[in-house]
Formats: sequence, structure tokens, C-alpha cells
Amino acid sequence: MHKLARIASHEYRRNVFKRSFLITLLSVPLIIALNVGIGFYLESRENDDSPVGYVDRSGLFADPAPVPVSGSAAPLDFLPFQAEEDARAALDSGQIQAFLVIPARYPGNRDATLYYLDEPGGGTIRQLLDFVQFNLLADRPEEVARRATLIGQGVIVRSLDARHEVPGDGPNFGIIMPMLIGFAFLFLLLMNASYLMQAVVEEKENRTIEVLVTSVSSRQLIAGKVLGTVAVGLTQLATWVLFGVTAVVVARSAGVEWFQNLTLDWQLILTAVALGLPSYLFTAAIMTAIGAITTSAQESQATGSIFFILHVVPLYLAGLLIGSPNAVLPTVFSFLPFTALLTIILRNIFASVPLWQVVVSFALQLLYAIAALWIAGRAFRLGMLQYGQRLDWRKLVKVRSS
Amino acid sequence: MHTVQIAHVAKSFGSTQAVVDVSFDVERGEIFGLLGPNGAGKTTTIRMMLDIFKPDGGTVSILGGPMDEGKKDRIGYMPEERGLYQDLPLERCLLYLASLKGQPPAAVQERLTGYLERFDLAAHKDKKVKELSKGMQQKAQIINTILHQPELVIIDEPFTALDPINTQLVKDVMRELRAQGTTILMSTHQMHQVEELCDRILLIDDGYDVLYGSLDEIRRRYLGHAVLVSAVGDLPSLAGVIESVPHNGALKLTLADETGPQDILSDLVAQGVIVERFEIAVPTLDEIFIRVVADQ
Repeated sequence: MHKLARIASHEYRRNVFKRSFLITLLSVPLIIALNVGIGFYLESRENDDSPVGYVDRSGLFADPAPVPVSGSAAPLDFLPFQAEEDARAALDSGQIQAFLVIPARYPGNRDATLYYLDEPGGGTIRQLLDFVQFNLLADRPEEVARRATLIGQGVIVRSLDARHEVPGDGPNFGIIMPMLIGFAFLFLLLMNASYLMQAVVEEKENRTIEVLVTSVSSRQLIAGKVLGTVAVGLTQLATWVLFGVTAVVVARSAGVEWFQNLTLDWQLILTAVALGLPSYLFTAAIMTAIGAITTSAQESQATGSIFFILHVVPLYLAGLLIGSPNAVLPTVFSFLPFTALLTIILRNIFASVPLWQVVVSFALQLLYAIAALWIAGRAFRLGMLQYGQRLDWRKLVKVRSS
Repeated sequence: MHTVQIAHVAKSFGSTQAVVDVSFDVERGEIFGLLGPNGAGKTTTIRMMLDIFKPDGGTVSILGGPMDEGKKDRIGYMPEERGLYQDLPLERCLLYLASLKGQPPAAVQERLTGYLERFDLAAHKDKKVKELSKGMQQKAQIINTILHQPELVIIDEPFTALDPINTQLVKDVMRELRAQGTTILMSTHQMHQVEELCDRILLIDDGYDVLYGSLDEIRRRYLGHAVLVSAVGDLPSLAGVIESVPHNGALKLTLADETGPQDILSDLVAQGVIVERFEIAVPTLDEIFIRVVADQ
């Protein structure tokens, strides 16, 4: 086995077979599961499937049509009451969860009153509004009424080449999947940055550094350590994806609306992964180089944060990247280190980034990553000779070996 | 053939000149002693030999030319600031470091088992390095330095933290390696170990090479004009002796310039002294070391 591969393998096994790694690995999906669980619990507490009453003084709801319900929500029964007192008695007895009093002058003044003992949940309110809206449009063709209630005011956005479409009620899980992948890489980087910046600290502390540099080259040592750490990060990512897929399968079978009719765009997902890998490797190498040349952990963290911020610059420009995805700046950002990953993902939401740009960006990210590994190796070599003094960045890019 | 050839190397760090002008050769299959007081430039010289530091001037030839990546597998180095991975089990740590010397674990396992047994570490092979005593860690370092059967061993203070039995063991191993043709460059302050083991030495002081050659030759160079005499009863007064001081159970007689050892022996015999011991006083390496460094 090549020495670089041995170092990477050693680094990987040393980190993965640690209890702390297992804790980190499981903590993220557990925290997400806990949050989702709490959300569902609160949502379920909000949803009451007992009927809703109404007192119709306008005559518009004399013969109400059943309202179609979107997604997995159970349709509520709407019970008519002749008098407000009857409805109040039904509310007090728990027969209904709320009742709506529709005055005679409705819809002229659009003023109806909802009575309840405990505030109804969001699902009840949505169905109640749909009930009112659907029946107000009873004299129109059903198609119009359905569009007004079920789709609402939402606008379906399609890319010019019709490859991408975001429904009016917002993107589902399949559509935001590439964004999740992009953010997962950034999250991994954030989690592993401090470790990367201290990649050779252990060797410096336990004095094995001289034994190592008289066994392997500085570049082999640094590249092996970076690749090992990147592999650790990818193991985390793969595990989280596995948890995510399991959660999606469970959520689909449980009928959760957001996970139904998933339209996974594999081209976008592959683009995110293809750009994410070299971007992650590139930044990992940069963080390692920072650790090798700075003189204290505090300084390396401060310098590292600057580079991390560069990754999220596209988020600040999200309006421009989404609104004018093929303008000059978004195109340039698609080729730069740090910004390429999120830029291309954001541009792809409402447009299709040309394939040639994705391919060129991937090739560039790979080149940046190799160059960053080279710089990190050189930084380590020069850092060793500096005896704790600050290393001049200009020395790093000199081609001639010192 | 010279395994190492160093010619006029120099190295400075900022305004500090660690090595000014050092030259020496190490021949194949010899044990070479690199000596010098603290801060003399020994470690910097070794680091330049191994390409950890680039010299500011001079040339370094090692195993027949400039240092390169391929030669790293042919060299075993135990640095002054030694260390192993503290959190790894001993055997795994040694196998990993050997693998970085181009030795696959399967190929080196049998040799490692032999060394662990010989150095009395077999029972501790699964313990984490940090759980071992200093002496055990020192022995583990020595194993790490020679496990991949290097042609050149560079070893800094090999006897630190070792008891007399283990010191003897390490000396035996070093002699065996020499017998097998391995070249050993040893840096140490323990002069009696150098006298016992080394074929040739270099003394560095203040960044300069100040004494270089075979031990016998150097001793002859520093022979004092004195004899060691031990006799039954007190010694009579002897002509041509300018100083008489006790020395290791004998008397060390420093002679006047015009007096030779034969003159003293003749005088003793003539005076009927029963001589038990009579020898030319040869300086110890310690004495030479102190004298040379004090003269600089």
C-alpha cells in the first residue's frame, strides 16, 4: 500500500473507532429526529378532528358542498346550526371544537366571527377557510373553486427548459434535496474544521514529527491526513444520509404530505455531490495549511473562520443568484473556490446551469483541491523550519523548494 | 565507501548561527560518535543530514548522494525529542511506523515479535504506549529505529533511561548491527559508552568541528607526558617528576620535558622499588572532551 494511503487509513481508523466519533455521528440525526418529533407532537396537539359548526345568516351556505382536502389531512365535518345558542351549547358540550357565525351581510363586509373554547389548530383553520372559500365560489365551475382552495394563490415556477418545477404550495423534500447536500458539506466542514487545523498537533506534541518526516514526505503526510479526515467526514455524511433515507421511507409510509410525490432530480443531486466532494477536500486542505502555519490555536481559528465565511457568501447573494441565475456574477461565482458549490445549487433552483459550466466547475474544484493539498504540504514543511515564527504567505507560493 | 559525507555545512536561524563549519565522513559498517556540549550544533547537523533542515552552505551526501524520498526507507532515525503515538497499543504503533518505512505489517511482524521478546516487551505489546515506563518506551524507540533493517542508523542518546542490563542489551544490538554491515551514527554525552562502542568520533563545539578521527589516534594525539605507577610501599623521590597525584589506585607522575618514561622506570628499578603497575598515562575521552572544549 502506498505510504499516503497508509497514513490516510491510519488517520481514518484512529478517528472512526473512537467513542467520541460514535457520539458525534449519532447525535446529529438524534437531535434532528427529536426536533421533528417535537414538531409532530405539537402539530398533532393542534389538530382536533371533531366537527366545526356554523350559523349561516347569509344563506350562502344553505346547501354546502363537501370540500376536497389536500394531502393526508382528515376531512372535518361542518355542522349547520340554526341559532347561535344551539351552536354555543354544542361547543360547551364538546360536540364541536368551534363555530363560525356568518352574518347576513356577509360576504359584503367579509366579517364573520369564530367562537371557540380552545384555539383551533392550523389544520382546522385551513379547512374552515377552504370551506368558506369553496362554497362562496359554488356558482363557478368546480375546477375554479378547487384551484382557489387547494392550490390557493401559489405560483408554479418552471425553468425555461421545463426541467425544474417548484409547485405553488412550496418545494417538497425532493426539490430541496440538492440544497441539503450542499449544506451538509458545509456543516461537515464546520464540525471538522478545528480538527483539521490541528491535524499535526498530536505529532508535534508527542514528538513523532521528526520520525514521520524522515519516513515520508511532508506532502504525503499532509495529504494522507487530509484524505483520512475527509473520509471520516464522508462516513458521517453517508451515515446521516442513511438515517435520512430511513426517515423519509418511514415518513412516506406514515403518509406525511411533504414526503409524498417526491420528485428526485438525480442530475441536481449528482451535481451537488460532484461539486461538494472536491470543495470539501479543498477547504479541508486549506484549514490544514492554516493550522500548519499559524502559531496558536486561537489564531488558526480566527483565520479559519474567514475562509469559512467565503463559503456562505452565495447565501447573502441568494436573491441575485436565484433571480438572475445566468448573469455574469453568478457565472463567475460558479467557478471560484469556496463559492462554486452553493452558487450552482442556488442557480439550479429556478434555472438550469449549463452542463459545460458544471463540468468546468468540477474540474476547477478538483484542481483547487490538489493545489490546496500541495500548499498545505509546503506550509507544513516551511512551518517546521520556522521555529514558531509567523510564516510569510509569499513563501508558500514560491515554486522553488526551500 | 562513505555512507555519509558532510562538507562544510552551515546553518543559522535568524541571528543565531547553530552550525558554522562542520565536515566529516562516516564509513560503511562503523559506529561513529557525534559528540559535543549542549548547543554545540549536533542535532542541527543531524537534521541537515536528514534533510529536515536545508543547510545554508556546504554539501551533504548520504548513502551515495543527496537525501531523497527513496532513501528514507534505508535510514533509521531516533531523534533527541523522541516520541511514539501515546494512545496506540505498542505493537500497533510500531507496525504503523514500520509501514511508513515501506515495510508491510505482515512482512515485519515476525521480526517485531523477535525484538519485543529480546527487549522484554512482548508482555506489554497490547498496552498503550503511555502506559509503559520511560525505559520501556526507550527500548520501543530503539526497536522502531532498527525494525525496518536500515543501512544507516542515526541515534541520539540511545542509553537514556536504560538500566545497566538494558544498556548492555542495546550495546550488544549495536555491535551486532555493525557486524552485519549497518552504519551507526550515535550522538551521546556518555563518553564511556563512546569509548566502548565507537570506531571514530567527531567533536563539535560552537558550530565547528574541533576533533575528528579514530579513538586510538585521538588518544595518542592527546597523550600527556605522564606515567601511571603503582608499587609496593611509598614511591621514593624521582628525578624529572614535576607533579605526582593519585589516579585510580595509582600515582600519576607528570614528567619534565627532558625526562622520558624509560628514565623513570630505570630509576625505580635502580632504587629497588617493587613495581606492580607501570604504564603511559592515556587520557580518557572525558578528559580530552573537557580539554578540547575548554581550549576553544
